[in-house]
Amino acid sequence: MRYEDMTEAIGNTPLVRIDPAVHGLRNIDLYAKMELLNPFGSLKDRAAWQMARPLLAGAAERGDTVVELSSGNTAKALAMIAGMHGLRFKSVTNRMKVPEVKDLLLLLGAEIDELPGQAECLDPSDTEDPLSRMHRTLTSNGSGYVHTDQYFNERNVEAHQHGTGPEIVKDLDGRAPDYFVACVGTAGSSTGVARALRQHDPDVRVIGLVAAKSDFIPGIRTIDEVHEVGLFEPGVYDAIETITADEAIDGLLTLVRRCGTPAGPTGGGAFHGAVRHLRTVDAGLTERRTAVFIVCDRVESYLSYLRERRPALFGRPPRRNDTRGLDEAEIAAAPTADVEEARRWPGLVVDLRSPYAFQALHIDGSINIVDELFAELLHGGLPFSRRQPVLLVCPVGEKSARYAALLTRMGHPSVRSLAGGIIAWRDAGARLVRD
Amino acid sequence: MPDSLPLLLTPRMEPITQSVLTEGALLRQLTDGLGSPLNVVLPEALDDNVEGFRAVYRHHRLRGQIYFAHKANRSSALLRHLAATDAGVDVASLGELQHALGSGFGPGRIMATGPKNREFLWLAARSGITVNADSLDELSELAALVAAGRLPRVRVMVRLAEFASRGVRMVSRRSRFGVPSGQLSEALDRVEKHADQLELTGVAYHLDTIGLAEKAIALESCLVALDECRRRDRAAWSIDIGGGFGVDYLADGQQWERYTSELAQAMLGRRAPLTWNEHGYGLRNEAGTLRGTLGLYPASRPDSGPGYLGRLLSATAPEQRRPLGTLLLDSMCDLDIEPGRALLDQCGLVLARVLEVREGADLLVRLDLNARDVSLEEHGVLMDPVVIPRDGNAVPETTEVYLLGNLCLESDLITRRKVVLPVRPRPGDLLAFVNTAGYFMDFSATRALHQPIGRKVALFRQGGSWSWCLDEHYWPVHESREAA
Repeated sequence: MRYEDMTEAIGNTPLVRIDPAVHGLRNIDLYAKMELLNPFGSLKDRAAWQMARPLLAGAAERGDTVVELSSGNTAKALAMIAGMHGLRFKSVTNRMKVPEVKDLLLLLGAEIDELPGQAECLDPSDTEDPLSRMHRTLTSNGSGYVHTDQYFNERNVEAHQHGTGPEIVKDLDGRAPDYFVACVGTAGSSTGVARALRQHDPDVRVIGLVAAKSDFIPGIRTIDEVHEVGLFEPGVYDAIETITADEAIDGLLTLVRRCGTPAGPTGGGAFHGAVRHLRTVDAGLTERRTAVFIVCDRVESYLSYLRERRPALFGRPPRRNDTRGLDEAEIAAAPTADVEEARRWPGLVVDLRSPYAFQALHIDGSINIVDELFAELLHGGLPFSRRQPVLLVCPVGEKSARYAALLTRMGHPSVRSLAGGIIAWRDAGARLVRD
Repeated sequence: MPDSLPLLLTPRMEPITQSVLTEGALLRQLTDGLGSPLNVVLPEALDDNVEGFRAVYRHHRLRGQIYFAHKANRSSALLRHLAATDAGVDVASLGELQHALGSGFGPGRIMATGPKNREFLWLAARSGITVNADSLDELSELAALVAAGRLPRVRVMVRLAEFASRGVRMVSRRSRFGVPSGQLSEALDRVEKHADQLELTGVAYHLDTIGLAEKAIALESCLVALDECRRRDRAAWSIDIGGGFGVDYLADGQQWERYTSELAQAMLGRRAPLTWNEHGYGLRNEAGTLRGTLGLYPASRPDSGPGYLGRLLSATAPEQRRPLGTLLLDSMCDLDIEPGRALLDQCGLVLARVLEVREGADLLVRLDLNARDVSLEEHGVLMDPVVIPRDGNAVPETTEVYLLGNLCLESDLITRRKVVLPVRPRPGDLLAFVNTAGYFMDFSATRALHQPIGRKVALFRQGGSWSWCLDEHYWPVHESREAA
């Protein structure tokens, strides 16, 4: 296949059957629409391109900036598209909670504006949220912004009505599936696909999935947030069901580990929500049915999200020479030196504080190895000769005691921790310098 | 689908509040004698709150002062009780400073913040408290007063504002207070110029936001500012991060989530209204889509008060990529805080008598207090009052009511929310608005229409039971009186 540019590779994603041994449904064939195979990485490529395309003419000459309220895949796709057309891209958001996505956007050259949190001393007469204000600036004429407006732009729906939906019907040999399950973000994909499917068969059942209210699943709105979306029409869905972050991660793990599908949490949520819903109808069925869910994007961007919620998945073997392996008695027995002794210290003085604080003020002649780095060094063994006396310095003498205990255990004969730390040193009136 | 269960917003009540509410006879006697509304403060609840913050300090090995933001409540009892702890007080007016000095705080435990007039600065300089300067000119005005009076040097902090974030731009609300952080060197020049009058002890910020990321940027910027002070050989060791730690008002977060979901449904016309005249608390229905923003305090905030401070100190500094608490310690920096409402958690309640229960399309309950006497609505805090029946027998009957105030004013509703009470109120019952000591008790109360402002009493435990005195008569010495 030969293309003129990457946008031509958007769409025409495969529809892949999920092994019944994995989902356990007896009378339903479950298919995944693999939107993670779009060139910029997600389902949102379709909408981003559909929305941006008519706005590009003349935008580069005017020096406009493409702007969208997005903290995820739409921003990613728009940043790529903007870059291809010599435009800048700016993402405005108060939802930028996934560090990898933020880093990726910055890597793509996007500018990010993060909106402020709610005021602690509330002014209830101020009913204009920062988002509404921002919106007004964007839509005023000659603002220099091209605003794609994904939550209200009908072209977001059209991308799926004319793309994603018909592709599903074509791959099912001209039939619409009996069930379609989708997570609701901008509501663009679920609304668009539902429209296309119902044109073929008005009886298609559409299940919308939202996040539990206090939960956070990147790319899915909560039951309240969907009402703020202009494209959201409750009538589209036969049922709106809630999934939790935990369930989404369970689904993600099944797709990743058993289906050869590196899906992100939205795909995992859709899979879990689909199986949960279909299980209730499966038993009563007498003939075969088909169901389709969408795998929106890929897992790699969510590693920190997963690490935070399922630390056990990332368990690593303990490393040797780790302060966490010390017991309380060893720490209490760590050799210390008081300020008087420290003033006459004959050997090396190692300051474990941050480089910044060290540069501001430190004990004359000391060297700075920040504790994190020091810990890394010790995993490898003693970083200095046993004949070299070492005095360890930290803020209050607590961390330095741990490291002194560890170095003692590692066989260093003359290591000391400065008792009370550099704060005790300062309070005793001992000299601090700044080089 | 509309939710048909009653939409309760049950307040979180710690044992001290629960204990006071069981004293129905005492509370009725007090309102009979002193009138409705009646403000009740519980000074001893302060001890746990101070300890809560101290525990966070200990956990992070930090030193520094906890300054109570006096503006949250005018009570003498609370202030005097606090003077008997190791906390300090943050005063924002001449009157508050006089009150603090008269309540037993030495100058070392008082910090003046906010906009200041000449008289306020004069008393601050005379009494030797720390002045948290709001502008460059204030530094000069203070220095002139010190010079004119040949006074000892006054300890000052410089309040900074408009912190720049590098990389990702953090949009913050505009503030009317403080010196833009870009003008730090001018501020330091100003302090140096008046070196005989002013002694710089540190820098400060106070941001009106619940957003942790904004505060992390401000705190790290203050560390940079302190380093600039040290570069100039100004030994400044403190950062004052203000308040804004918040309070968790509700017992059950699920109730808050249900209520706000249902409010959105009501605004979209998908269920019966939940508010007077379909007030939307900032939400509005535009062609079937919900627009605007919910103008309510997040009443369910499990991570508030000391917990919020802990989270801030554990947050990673955006530039130096170490926890902020660790950086403070690395820099040998003391941390000062100015909590207001968080220190007053569970420290008081407002009592009001039910005057009339009017049947009609909605049940209207008229109270002998107005919306300014318990300014929950003004501050966007939604939580249910507790019914204290007139004769001690309450018949459980879930009842939806609107609470009307005692002003001859259409808008005088205690809350525009339809309140669900587990007990049907009757004339002569009392309603207790609990956990209202922080900002909701006397902050906005007025004598409009010659209606009285509520009297204030302090309740304290003595010999295993509750005793009371007028707020102005409370001194934290009753235990020793008992011993004698």
